[in-house]
Amino acid sequence: MSSDHGHDDHHPSAWGPHDWHHGAPHNSWAPIIMSAGFAIFLFTLGGAYEWGEFVSSTYALMIFVGLAVIGLGILIWWRQDFSFDGSYEPKSFGAPYQNIDIRKVAVWVFLMSEMMVFTSLFSTYIRYRTGIENCKTVFESGNWVEGVAVTCFEPASHLIASSWFHIAPGAINTFALIISSFTIVQALRYAKMKDLDENTRRRKVTMFLGTTWALAILFLALKMIEWFIGFPTPGPLTELNHGHSEIASLYTEGYLINADSYQHHAYNTHYFEDHHMELPVGLVGHSGGQMMADIQVSASTFYVTTGTHGAHVFGGIVILTYMTFKAMNGGYTPKNAVGIEYFGLYWHFVDLVWVLVFPFFYLY
Amino acid sequence: MAHYKILGKDPYWMNFYGLMILTAIEVAAVGADLTQAAESLNMTEKGITLWILTIIAIPKFFMIAAIFMHLFGDEDSGILTLTALFPAFFMLIMILFIGLTHPEAATGLPDWCRPGNYNL
Repeated sequence: MSSDHGHDDHHPSAWGPHDWHHGAPHNSWAPIIMSAGFAIFLFTLGGAYEWGEFVSSTYALMIFVGLAVIGLGILIWWRQDFSFDGSYEPKSFGAPYQNIDIRKVAVWVFLMSEMMVFTSLFSTYIRYRTGIENCKTVFESGNWVEGVAVTCFEPASHLIASSWFHIAPGAINTFALIISSFTIVQALRYAKMKDLDENTRRRKVTMFLGTTWALAILFLALKMIEWFIGFPTPGPLTELNHGHSEIASLYTEGYLINADSYQHHAYNTHYFEDHHMELPVGLVGHSGGQMMADIQVSASTFYVTTGTHGAHVFGGIVILTYMTFKAMNGGYTPKNAVGIEYFGLYWHFVDLVWVLVFPFFYLY
Repeated sequence: MAHYKILGKDPYWMNFYGLMILTAIEVAAVGADLTQAAESLNMTEKGITLWILTIIAIPKFFMIAAIFMHLFGDEDSGILTLTALFPAFFMLIMILFIGLTHPEAATGLPDWCRPGNYNL
């Protein structure tokens, strides 16, 4: 599929360093080893825990075996490509990708598989969201009895979109990802500029890659605040927060994957009485009290989808760390700037997924 | 890099401004009181919000893909767009036939894949 300058004398080994001077390598065991490692890691991770509870030490051991195999794959990949300065781009000569960089096509094929991953998560969400009755609907219908948990769908947005303070981390993250998509494009632009002196290019590319890195860190930090930590609303913010001095995390609110007796203040008839609000029609004549809900499915779909996205951001941070250091050492030139472009495609994809995750998981 | 302009300006900056504005509208739509609009359209407030969010998400999606990911305006944009669209068929199947069908599935499917049954 690729042209190799009319020679076929590049390094034949699937283990050793590739001879980049004679074209791109055609063979490597690294992807297969890494795939096997990921399979072992994910399978055993799923087996070691059951609804948040640690259940198997054998599986736990295999988790580390999986990580070791992934590490081995990365090591082989690193060894083969370490000598590569990225200035030689093999072109495809076969249809339909004639004269297009093979690595670019490979990134797009990778992104296609990523689309499938997120589509499966979205279809699961749509399936459960439409198939299970909403907790608010169940509460207002009066088809529940205090002390007995009812299975219903409680979207995370019920907590997150309940106030501006709750939305803040997700909203800031949305802006952070959009800005980071822009900064990575700027990094590519300056790396590709031919009429720029080396020092200015190094400075600009480092600055934009570093900014992208910082925004990615901000994204994960806010995610942790939103999930586990929460944040204070001191002074005048307390008044704006309806008298509360802090915003509780989803963890503190009890929005958990094993929440089989979730209780929300809005699902309590006393809340209506205390606030002199009219009871929904379905609750007139109801014995009243606090509704308990089994929200394990809704919480799981939320955490798995947003967590998978977060894992992609984490992966991006690892790569960005390397790229920023490389840029600091003047590693990017117009000849090898495509490295930034290929990572940029991945990063834009992460942004693209968030464009859908944010409204449908956080706002609606 | 892009070889074209949007309204005579740099496409990346214009795209960036556009995305920021659309996101701000998205967040504002969730916080806004849409009760009156919902009543006049004979819809629920949640329904209106969903429509607004969906309508805004679509151009945002295309703006990122077309301009930031260079699926518009480059020599290889056409074939790479087709490549990106290749999984669309499978995505459609997954969304339509898994996500939206069988509304009774929550109660009609076998125990092991029904919500509330976790004794696997």
